[in-house]
Amino acid sequence: MLYLVGLGLSDETDITVKGLEVVKKASRVYLEAYTSILLVDQSVLEAYYGRSIVVADREMVESNSDEILRDVENVDVAFLVVGDPFGATTHTDMVLRARELGIQVRTVPNASIMSGIGAAGLQLYNYGQTVSMVFFTDNWRPASFYDRVKENRDIGLHTLLLLDIKVKEQSLENMARGRRIYEPPRYMTVGCCASQMLEIEEEKGLGVYGPDSLAIGAARVGGKTEKFVAGTLKELCDADDELGAPLHSMVLLGRRTHELEHDFVREFAISKESWDRIWKADYEGKH
Amino acid sequence: MVNFTIDEIRQLMDKPTNVRNMTVIAHVDHGKSTLTDSLLAKAGIISSGKAGEARATDTRQDEQERGITIKSTAISLYGTLPSDEDIKDIVGQKTDGKDFLINLIDSPGHVDFSSEVTAALRVTDGALVVVDTVEGVCVQTETVLRQALGERIKPVIIINKVDRALLELQVTKEDLYQTFSRTVESVNVIISTYIDQSLGDIQVYPDKGTVAFGSGLHGWAFTVRQFATRYAKKFGVDRNKMMERLWGDNFFNPHTKKWSKSGTHEGKQLERAFNMFILDPIFKIFSAVMNFKKEEIATLLDKLQLKLTPDDREKEGKLLLKAVMRTFLPAADCLLEMMILHLPSPVTAQRYRVETLYEGPMDDEAAISIRDCNSKGPLMLYVSKMVPTNDKGRFYAFGRVFSGTVRSGLKVRIQGPNYTPGKKEDLFIKAVQRTVLMMGGKVEPIDDMPAGNIVGLVGIDQFLLKSGTLTTSETAHNLKVMKFSVSPVVQRSVAVKNAQDLPKLVEGLKRLSKSDPCVLVMTNESGEHVVAGAGELHLEICLKDLEEDHAGVPLNISDPVVQYRETVGAKSSITALSKSPNKHNRLYMIAEPMEEELSKEIESGRIGPRDDFKARARILADDFGWDVTDARKIWAFGPDTNGANLLVDQTKAVQYLNEIKDSVVSGFQWATREGPVAEEPMRSIRFNIMDVTLHADAIHRGGGQLIPTARRVLYAAALLAEPALLEPVFLVEIQVPESAMGGVYGVLTRRRGHVFAEEQRPGTPLFTIKAYLPVMESFGFNGDLRAGTSGQAFPQSVFDHWQILPGGSPLDPTSKVGTIVQEMRKRKGIKVEVPGVDHYYDKL
Repeated sequence: MLYLVGLGLSDETDITVKGLEVVKKASRVYLEAYTSILLVDQSVLEAYYGRSIVVADREMVESNSDEILRDVENVDVAFLVVGDPFGATTHTDMVLRARELGIQVRTVPNASIMSGIGAAGLQLYNYGQTVSMVFFTDNWRPASFYDRVKENRDIGLHTLLLLDIKVKEQSLENMARGRRIYEPPRYMTVGCCASQMLEIEEEKGLGVYGPDSLAIGAARVGGKTEKFVAGTLKELCDADDELGAPLHSMVLLGRRTHELEHDFVREFAISKESWDRIWKADYEGKH
Repeated sequence: MVNFTIDEIRQLMDKPTNVRNMTVIAHVDHGKSTLTDSLLAKAGIISSGKAGEARATDTRQDEQERGITIKSTAISLYGTLPSDEDIKDIVGQKTDGKDFLINLIDSPGHVDFSSEVTAALRVTDGALVVVDTVEGVCVQTETVLRQALGERIKPVIIINKVDRALLELQVTKEDLYQTFSRTVESVNVIISTYIDQSLGDIQVYPDKGTVAFGSGLHGWAFTVRQFATRYAKKFGVDRNKMMERLWGDNFFNPHTKKWSKSGTHEGKQLERAFNMFILDPIFKIFSAVMNFKKEEIATLLDKLQLKLTPDDREKEGKLLLKAVMRTFLPAADCLLEMMILHLPSPVTAQRYRVETLYEGPMDDEAAISIRDCNSKGPLMLYVSKMVPTNDKGRFYAFGRVFSGTVRSGLKVRIQGPNYTPGKKEDLFIKAVQRTVLMMGGKVEPIDDMPAGNIVGLVGIDQFLLKSGTLTTSETAHNLKVMKFSVSPVVQRSVAVKNAQDLPKLVEGLKRLSKSDPCVLVMTNESGEHVVAGAGELHLEICLKDLEEDHAGVPLNISDPVVQYRETVGAKSSITALSKSPNKHNRLYMIAEPMEEELSKEIESGRIGPRDDFKARARILADDFGWDVTDARKIWAFGPDTNGANLLVDQTKAVQYLNEIKDSVVSGFQWATREGPVAEEPMRSIRFNIMDVTLHADAIHRGGGQLIPTARRVLYAAALLAEPALLEPVFLVEIQVPESAMGGVYGVLTRRRGHVFAEEQRPGTPLFTIKAYLPVMESFGFNGDLRAGTSGQAFPQSVFDHWQILPGGSPLDPTSKVGTIVQEMRKRKGIKVEVPGVDHYYDKL
């Protein structure tokens, strides 16, 4: 049996009781560590689970899944995913491959950023499509997120932006040469995301959002040091110090808001005064 | 003593109308360096006694030993016209005074070093084409002339080694005239074949003074103009009128004292004017001197008003002949005059060259300043090659100032071949440490150098691989990258004898790569170092330099091997599909063979990635039958962004396709550089992207997902399309006497050679055989040919085309081609079996 086990958002203790039982009795345990990361080391997990685990990087999961699925007909294998196993579409492929081999799959769900972001104080009902923001390079600046944000904003919904993490990625040059040399890990910050968004708005010029649009930056959601900072996109460009270490996410507000949301989020505002002013002008009562 | 100072030269540089930049080009052994000597002797750089033997521009020891030129060498000379009258004969361009600066480059004639010629031509505006009287126009004469015309370089010619025709072949005057006439005609045939309309009529005519005749070895030469000057006074006619009469079917009837076109008098054949007035005195001198007729010599000297030095008067035989002829018709005067009168100044030349030189729009500040040869405009300087300095491992960047003025300490933008305006790649901003004037093997420091001149720069060699553009304008595009007529198709691998020398080898390879415009240096997967050159000789010289100079450590050198290309023989049997590692993105592609003519156009640079896409689409549609929509959607040329493989987008309405374009193109560059069969570069394949499905979110369709997928789908498409290997083929031209022709045929047949032309050189027992010979079979060919013809055959091989390697499929390990593939893979240290298509093809 293949178990897909969600680990939750923050540290070793976020695993569910059911998940922990699976981990303890499985013959092999893999930890997927590239779509997201936990804020603690592998050794901490191993100590808590009382067993050894194998870290599965992108290459192993995508190109060498046979090793993970080896002999699963006869033994139990646990595949640990940070957050919820199906939070990212990435792992549907693993299930499809297991299905092809006639292997049974069971899932142990857990909290994901998709639900955890509720702590920012905006109603989960009013979120639209989630988008990812990738690191721009000189010649790769994918702007398709802009169209999604526009669709959300057109009907007044909030947008959750998931920020790029690069763990064990090759540089283009090394990839083209087929060299397995990896770049140091990089995590996108809210500041980087906000300025990339503004860059694209400047290019496209459709006025989907602007420097004065309100947004919330979130850091280490679900962890002990969870932190939210609210402000305009312009303010958030320089709010990285306040937010601190990775991982970051961001929410761009839709105009469909409730005053409870206002009261809740106001506490996180960098400048309460400007927050109130803009809220009054652009958001309050704009259904 | 050098009869001019650097200061004088520097002053002339400020008068670009009085500058002539020219390259001496020719077939190997037709006497370029020897002729150049006489110019240097005139300038006082070598003694006139040594001229013809010194080969002063062959500065390397191996050049002197082998008697061939390997590197091109530049030298600046001071020239002056005898009188103000002469200035009037400079037609179609302005002139300022009688003094001229001639920047001359002596180039190698052996085909293996053609890239040196290309680099020389780029920085000059005119060419002196040297042709051997006896051998006539040869394969390399044609190649270099074609290159010159491609760069919009105006030619003048000299028919050299006339002394040989007179002394060895003992021809008659009329025979010699016919030989000259035929050679001029052959040159003009080539010129009219490759003519560039913007240059106007640049065919050469003896009666206009654009053809000289002479002997570099003996240091004499003349054009019809020189004799016309002598006779114009005597006949009391205009010099230019006289020139016309002294060539072609013009006859002087001594009985009636009249000129006519018919050439008969009372039924008797008259001598044509050329023979009567020009060849006759020369023949008389030859006959008198070589037959030791002292009195006759004295009369002749008197008649021609020639005064020999007391030393010369004591001489006899050939030495006396040399002295007399050199006094009678000094080669340097004739050549300088011909170049000054008929070659364009930079001011004239840059006006029509700018279109072929500059990549940017014709109305930006750089283009306008190049066009006007404006020394006050932004600096535009093209570095065409690197010349080693005495300081080991460092180089002078050798190039031409097309606009602006370069000076020591000037901060310049160094733009490599891959630079694109507005981007930061392949761009350095550095100061020029020093500027120098290249004087043969030496250099002279000079403070600055204005537009129109040739310069050496110190301190920028580390920032350029081989060539590039230097500018002070932030908006300037590149000056066009040079295209070489030869390809590095022969390669050998090198390894150090002592392991601890490895770092020296690596450093040495870097230097080697810089020092030669054409050599290619590669490192294989397995860590093997490979050096590729245009031919066996080129490679031999490069490796010798590497071992003795650049690396300076003992090396083991492998047998030469050939570079192949991978291609396809048909359209992919099914559409190839590959999925990204995360399985969310899918690419569908088809490979098909591309038109050979189109591949050649791309390789020659006439069609390229930087063309306007609409104009390019028009050409593809009109000349190659492409669908215009497809032709407008060419994503990339590869490998190296300019190779002869194309990636064409044929998808319909795929959203966000643009976001993956760069990744797919990167994969395409990677795949075309190392094909699926043996990791050799691909050639002449067109890849069509048929369909694409993508993950909704950008993060799941980044380079990491798409680049390897693009490569895999390209491999799959190629493997599904009857893959084949292309082997390089030389065009060999062999000069051989009739008696030894059997031996030539025998050797060629044994080596898969294919003779396609055989013609006798009129008036000689020599035959010229032209054949195609696979490069693979050419190793040791010269030695074999020498043995087969008792050393009477002289071959010249130059890369000509690619052909499908016969002998089965490369995928079948039991076939002949399959065996070659396996050996190649073994050598490269990759898995011996060729991975099958299922390795790259994903099922739906």
